[in-house]
Amino acid sequence: MTRYDQTQPDGKPRGEMGVGDAELRALTKDLDALHRDTFPTALEQLRDTTSATRATIRGLARGPASRRGVLLRGLAAAGAGLLAACGGSDGGGKRTAMGGTPTRVASPYTGDLRVVALAAALENLAVAAYTMALTKAAAGDYGAVPGAVGEFATVARSQHAEHAKAWNGVLSGAKLPTITGTPLTIAASEVAKVKATKSVPELAAYALGLENAAAHTYLYAMANVSDSGGIATAATIAPVEAMHAAVLAFIAGDYPVPDAFIDTSSAVGPAALTA
Amino acid sequence: MTGNQEDAVSDTVDDRRLRELSDASEDLHSDAMRGSRVAVADLVEAAAPGRRMSRGGAALAVGLAGAGVLATATRGSAATMDVAILQTAASIENLAVSTYTTALTLPFIGGAEANAVVKAFAMKTMAQHVDHATAFNAAAVGLGGQAQTALDPKYAKVVDAAIPTIKGPGDVVSLAITLEDVAAQTYTKNVSQVGSSMLRKLFGSVAAVEAQHRAILLAVAALLGGGAADLIALPPDAAKLPKAAGGVGFPDAFYSTSMASPSTEGAV
Repeated sequence: MTRYDQTQPDGKPRGEMGVGDAELRALTKDLDALHRDTFPTALEQLRDTTSATRATIRGLARGPASRRGVLLRGLAAAGAGLLAACGGSDGGGKRTAMGGTPTRVASPYTGDLRVVALAAALENLAVAAYTMALTKAAAGDYGAVPGAVGEFATVARSQHAEHAKAWNGVLSGAKLPTITGTPLTIAASEVAKVKATKSVPELAAYALGLENAAAHTYLYAMANVSDSGGIATAATIAPVEAMHAAVLAFIAGDYPVPDAFIDTSSAVGPAALTA
Repeated sequence: MTGNQEDAVSDTVDDRRLRELSDASEDLHSDAMRGSRVAVADLVEAAAPGRRMSRGGAALAVGLAGAGVLATATRGSAATMDVAILQTAASIENLAVSTYTTALTLPFIGGAEANAVVKAFAMKTMAQHVDHATAFNAAAVGLGGQAQTALDPKYAKVVDAAIPTIKGPGDVVSLAITLEDVAAQTYTKNVSQVGSSMLRKLFGSVAAVEAQHRAILLAVAALLGGGAADLIALPPDAAKLPKAAGGVGFPDAFYSTSMASPSTEGAV
């Protein structure tokens, strides 16, 4: 059987960034539906926040290059050391000699908006991962799956979809394309990890890493984004990702709140964004 | 402990597993505290009054770490507000410590009747709140303020009113959920109110942990309320957990701040 990440649908070998693209598209095809269907109340609550974000973002977009440059340098400097568990060296993103952003000259996502786009992509990745896990569970790949585990994956997935929609709302407000896929250097390797899970404990361990990475990334964003709307959005999402992690740890039999402080050790840095 | 009590405990928890988890947790906790001390030390270095106005290098260091740089003219008032926010946070933590301490004196939380996992969770959570109070007070002192050793006045009244009505573990868990939620909501809001990236990181970090406390307490409350206290164990019998247990711990996609305490509620 041909591995999903070895060839494209037309039979040609995949390039680095093409690995898993078709599968990711398939996995995330329900994102739009989820985005449309879920929780308008929560989005209404965020509307004030995102409108403030838009105003600030417009200012950022028009602002002097030096300001964006300062922010980018700050983000790059902070982000260089943050590509840990989920954002490791695999994934093939080409980087500059300074270890900053990938070699892409036309990214529309700069400054704070690059972190926003990263967040949207990470949320899409989470949705894709849980979708894949639920599909595998339905196919019997994990044997008998406890109802609580299925419920966890279903609810967590819907909340990640809401998070993605919130972040994409910020991008839309800034007249930028929304992130509907998973343009991340880590996407292919993360999909491979999900595919490799063969039991509920393995799946739980994977998901725990994913949730911790999300929470850590948002903590990183809180400290490194300058826009007030972006800070507030990250602040309201990070606790939810941390709650996912705690419940997941409990179900898996681990102590659910091991640390008095969460950190950024598993944060995914902006350099992981390939869009 | 009587034989029956031992049997009851062994039904709900693998003691050796729990000790291992506690040991590992202590190690993790120590590591986290070291990190926090570094963060607080950095904050003090970067934001201490006097230094802040005279040493542009300190503000620049904060900026290089990705922080928003405060305008010079607003630094004094911003620092004053930051101190009040930190003191209020410390007062909330002090109340949490006091409440868990009291709860652990109850036979069904810290005594012979207690579920071992609930007891261990209460003890660990209390210790984490001590750590939070220490961090908030260290930051307040670093900014030139006083440490807050008193309890949050608003929620101290809530606790005082609740304590006499407690009849079982469910009542304690319910009260703890309220306190954890108030703390998480307050700190989530504080992230947007404080004047430096270091403080944003501190409040964001602690808010997530309080939210985790609440998530577990919500799950525990659901199991207690559903007559499934025997499933409160580490590891739990996942196959027997009710389906709802998988999602009851995180009811909202975005953490609310509607119950956040005002910045000056617990200020000195």
